[in-house]
Formats: sequence, C-alpha cells, structure tokens
Amino acid sequence: MRITQRSVALTSLQGLNRNLDNLGRLQQQLTSGKLINKPSDSPTGTNKAMQIRQDQAAVDQQARNISDGQGLLDSTDSTLQSMIDQLARVRNLTVLGANSGALSADSKEAIRTELLGLRDSMLGLANTNVSGRPIFGGVTTGQVAYDESGTYVGVGAGEAPVNRRVGDRTVIRVDITGPEAFGDPATGDVFALVQKIAGDLAGPDPSALTDDLGALDAARNRMLTAAADIGTRAAQLEHAADVNADLKLTLQSQLAEVESIDLPETIMQLEMQKTGYEAALSATAKALQPTLLDFLR
Amino acid sequence: MSTFSGLNTARTALWASQRGLDLTGQNIANVNTDGYSRQRLELQSIGGTAVPAIHSVSDGLGGGVSAEEVTRIRDAFLEGRAHTEHANSARLTAQADTYARVEQAFREPGPTGIQSMLADVSNGWQDVANHPDDLAARGQLLRRLQTLTSGLHATRTSLDQQWTQTRDNLAVLVSDVNAAAGDIAKLNASIRRATAAGIPTNELKDKRDALVLSLATQVGATTVPGDDGQLNVLIGGTAVVSGDGAMTIALTGATGPDGALTDSPTIVTVPGRARLRVGGTAEGQLATLTDAVPAYRTELDGIARTLVSSLNAAHGAGWDLDGDRGMPLLDNGDGSTTTVDPATVNAGNIRVRVVRPQDIAAAKVNPATTGGPTLDGGNADAITELSLDPASTEATYRALIVKLGVQSAVATRNLDIQAVITGQVDASRESVSGVSIDEEMTTMLSFQHAYSAAARLVTAVDEMLDTLINRTGLVGR
Repeated sequence: MRITQRSVALTSLQGLNRNLDNLGRLQQQLTSGKLINKPSDSPTGTNKAMQIRQDQAAVDQQARNISDGQGLLDSTDSTLQSMIDQLARVRNLTVLGANSGALSADSKEAIRTELLGLRDSMLGLANTNVSGRPIFGGVTTGQVAYDESGTYVGVGAGEAPVNRRVGDRTVIRVDITGPEAFGDPATGDVFALVQKIAGDLAGPDPSALTDDLGALDAARNRMLTAAADIGTRAAQLEHAADVNADLKLTLQSQLAEVESIDLPETIMQLEMQKTGYEAALSATAKALQPTLLDFLR
Repeated sequence: MSTFSGLNTARTALWASQRGLDLTGQNIANVNTDGYSRQRLELQSIGGTAVPAIHSVSDGLGGGVSAEEVTRIRDAFLEGRAHTEHANSARLTAQADTYARVEQAFREPGPTGIQSMLADVSNGWQDVANHPDDLAARGQLLRRLQTLTSGLHATRTSLDQQWTQTRDNLAVLVSDVNAAAGDIAKLNASIRRATAAGIPTNELKDKRDALVLSLATQVGATTVPGDDGQLNVLIGGTAVVSGDGAMTIALTGATGPDGALTDSPTIVTVPGRARLRVGGTAEGQLATLTDAVPAYRTELDGIARTLVSSLNAAHGAGWDLDGDRGMPLLDNGDGSTTTVDPATVNAGNIRVRVVRPQDIAAAKVNPATTGGPTLDGGNADAITELSLDPASTEATYRALIVKLGVQSAVATRNLDIQAVITGQVDASRESVSGVSIDEEMTTMLSFQHAYSAAARLVTAVDEMLDTLINRTGLVGR
C-alpha cells in the first residue's frame, strides 16, 4: 500500500480523536461519579437503576410512615395506661363505697363526686388529640371521640381502620377506636359504667355495687387487652423499622454497584489513557515532521 | 537524418523535464487539497519511422520524447465504494444523533426524569393516606401531580422540537443537493466541451468528484459514467443529473409532528413527484421523522393515557373530604367537566383537573355507611399500590427507557463499526490518489537531472557543430 503524508496525518488524527474520546468519557465518569449517564451507556443497568430508585423512594416514604405510626401508637399507649390507672382508682372507690355501713352520707357524697370527676377525666383522656385528630375516634372528621355526655361520636370500629404502609405489601393498623378499647356504647361502655356506679353509690341497694365491680373488672380487662394489642403493633412497627433501615442500606449499595464508578479503577484507567494519549501525541509529532526535504540539500 | 536533429531531441527532453517539474509543483501545491487527485506526466519516446525501407533517410533512432498527456490517478471502483460507505456513515450518524437527542429529552436515569416524578406522586399519595385531614399534604400531592404533567409536557415538547428541527435541516439539505446537482451539470457541460477541444479536464473532474461525494453523503447518490467524460448522478436509481441537465428534488409531506404518521415526509422529484429512495443523511433524517421520533412520541402519549385511565379509575372509586365521589383527577385540558375519555389525552395536553385539595378522594369508606365524610386514607393508599402492579405506569415507562437505551446503544455501535470501514476506504483512496511529498521530491530530482542532462546534450551538440563550422576548412590559413 502506498502511504502518503496526508494519509499518515489522517490516520494519526483518527487515532488521536479516538484517544481523546476515551479520555473524555473517563473524565465524564469521574466528574459525574456515575457509570450510567444516559440509557445507552447500559440499558440493563438503567433498568436496574430505575427500579432501585423507585424502591428507594418507596422505602424512604415507608420510613416516614413508620415513624408517624409509632408516634400515634405511643400516644395511644400512654393514654390507655393513664386511663387504666384511673380505672384502678375507680375500683378502689367502688370497693370503699360498697362498704356502706362504715360511711357517712357526706363521705359517700365525696366518693360520688370523685367518681364523677374521674369519669370526666377519663372522658378527657379518651378525647386525646394527635395532630388535630382524636386518637380513639377512628376516621371521624370531628375534633372529639366522645361528646360531653359520654356518647361516642367517632366512626365505629371496623369501618375504616387507620393504617400505615410499612412495606410494599405490608400494612399495619395504628389506631384503636373507642368502642374497641372502652366497650360498646350500646350495651354500656366504661364511662357509662362509672356514671352508673356513682348513681348506685347514692342508691339504696349496695348489692348493685357488687355487680358493678364485676363489670368494672370486665372493662379493665378490655382496656388491658387493648393496651396489649397496641403494644404488639408497636413491636411490629419496631420490627418494620429495622427491616426498613436494612433495606435502605441494601438498596443504596445496590444502586452504587449499578450506577457509581469504581473510583480507584477509573482513576487508574484515566491515568493509563492519559499516558496513551500523550504517547500518541508525541508519536504523531515525530512521524509527521520528517520528509525527504529535510535531507535534500 | 538532419544535422540538427540532435538539438531537436534535446529540446523535447528539456520541454518534457520542464513540464514534469511544473506538474510536480502542481502536485506539491495541492498536497493538502481535499479531493485533489495526484497527476502524472505520461512520457512517451518518439520513435523512428514505423515502416523500414531501403532508401529511407531515417537512421532508425528516435526523435526524442513526447509529454502531451497528463493523467489523473484515481480508482473508479474505490470511488464507488467511497460513495456507498460515506452514505452509510452519514445515515448512521443521523440515526445515532436522533437517539442521543431522544435520550436527552427523557433525562433518565436521574433525579430529574419522569420516573422520579412518578415516585414523588406515589409518595404524595402516602402522605395523604397518613393525614387525610392535612390540606397541606393534599396540596403537596396536587403540586406533585402538576410537576408530573409538566414533566410529560416538557418531554413531548422536546420531541416535537427535535422533529421540527430535523425537518428544517432536511429542507436545507434538499436545497443544498439541488445546488450541487446544478453545479455538477454545469461542470459536465464544461468537461464535455473541453474534452471535445482536447483540453485537460483533470481539475474540473476533481471538483466534480468532490461535489458527487458530498451528494453521496447527503442523499446516497451513485454515479454512472456518460459520454465525453461526463458523469450521470443517480439517487435511488433515478437520474438526477444526466449530462448537462439536472432535475430538482423537493421535500413533501407533513410539516408538523402530528401528521408524521399519516402524511409521512418524503423526498420527491419536482417534475413528476416520483418518490426517491434516498440514502445518506437524508435517509437517516427521514427515518427520524417517520419512525424514531413519532414512535417515542406515541409511546409517551401511551404513558400519559395509562396514567389518566388508571388514576382516574382509582380516584373515582374513592370519596373526597366533602363526602362526594372522586371526580376525574386528570383530563385532556379541554375545560370540560364531564367524564374523561383517555383516548383524547396525550402527553402534551394532560392536565390535573382537581384544583381544591379537598376534592382529592382519599377515603375508601362510603360516607353513607358512616353517616358523613371521614378521614379515611384507604383509597389514597390503594392508589399507591397501583405502582406495584407489573403493568403499572412505572413499569411501562421503564420498559420504554430500556428500549430507547438498547436502540441508542445499537445505533452508536453501528456507527463506530461504519466509521472504521469508511476510514479504511478513505485510506485506500488516499493511498491511490494522494500526493506523497517524498515521491514528488524524487520525481523532482529526476526531472531536474534530466533537464541538466538535456542541457548538457545541447552544449555537446553545440560544441560539435562549432568544431564543424568554425574550425574546419582552415588548413593553411
């Protein structure tokens, strides 16, 4: 093949361009820190990266859902505990009141007043709000779960649970409605019971109080069950939070594997490419210079 | 045999050497000229008489050298291959450029693409599901939906712009081709006249070859040699230049991306309106106009349609804060308030219909069963779950991006391969037609020496005649 200066120059230029192109690509990878800058860099990698990004967004959101749910459950739990404590005081007062022979009418009146006060206090607790919503009111749009007379005004149990999505397919209920925790308003809930005890205390028949004590224990058991239920779900959320944190780390490392450059490797490649480019430049400079002219006198 | 025939022989030698040196000068002057083919002086010895005879006066010696012909060194076969390969190269370049621009329009993978907007919307639904009473969460969801629709608008606009710009470029290319075809026809006429008059036409032919190569790159032109050194140029088998006549071509068809599929842009001949099978850049750009961009545009519209039908259906299954059924969430922006036909929606007109945050149907519970609107978030959560469906908008969109990535990668790889082939053909052409300075220097040296030798011959004959004329007949003087 006949070689001319121009063909040498063209070939050199092509080689230099190719070198510079590779150098530019490595440079872009280093400065952006990413292997994939457009889908054609790696179609399968792009697919994986997009999937992981979607999962990451979901996991971040689920982490928010979990902490939100935990706040709700914590408030419910502490409210229930206070109410259980107050119910214990109600029971003591009831036992005291049943001891009718030893009590003066004034004492009975004092107990009655305290019982009514405890009922109001429990009603107040049952109307506890978290970010503007009554925690025992279900999905009600109102501000309270029970009105002043003790009637349940929330949305009943089972209609629509308040859920938090903690995993792609996992949903945990984070509320408990008034009827579930304090008894069905139709057959008499704990507030009606305390009211009834206060009435029975003033009444002529002390034996009614003995029946009330049984009902009180049933109410207490129901509230304890509710507290246990809340505790179990809190534990579930706790577990979900751990899984979520693990998943987040896994996704991060997966994304890095697909999308991010291996820094030492890329720097090494860049150095090698640079050396290659410089060699090509100096070779081109040397090869293009001499012609027969340099040797003719 | 004449006395002075030696001088005449030397004179032809001097003239030939001088011509050779001139030609070397021309070659060296054009060492870097694009499309220049090196030229060579064809030397031929002038023989004695061709018919020997007893009484011939010829001594059988030749009469010197003739240097009439200057040939252009060029390989027609290689030129033909160059036309094909340059056309392929141009077509693949146009194709790779198209896909690179489509990729830019989609901006994936990254935090600014439609994928992340979809994820934002999905998370927005979760926030509403967590706090259906929070108007801020609902407002945020509406903003995110609007961001998503404007993201779809932006991508579609960018595809539309690409289409329009490509069509404009193609129109410019067509007028370039018409100008070049006219020039080739004029050159053909000049060459025919010069050939008839016996004048060298090498430089004219070089100029014409350069024009033909640019036509090959632009529209995949091929050539057929004609009479008297003329060249006929064909595009897709139709003669566009024949002899000194040129035909015009024009770009017809849709002027906007909407008609790209029904009234595809084509290149036609101007008298006759016959459709031309073009190659080169024009073929690549026509494919962009009729295939690549409209296809991605349609797919993007499909994504918008799925979004509208799935979101509207899911939204309609829920109840808003006022206790009403969920109204259509997205529509085609025509201002109507009735049900939305997803078929009328595309990525360019998709719009969020819901304006009031209260109108977002987050609740799944029928208000009739609870005696009034509730703060249920069940429907919002159910809408989030849509993205887990294998046929979800997210999955469809991802498949679209992967397809784009594969097509773009293939186009780039094809171009890389073609660049090597084109480079090799160009190198072969250069190796045949290119000027080598070393070679020219050696030729220059040989002509220089030949000139000196011929000059010396003149001196020798001169001295010989001097002896004969001036120094003879002087005996006894």
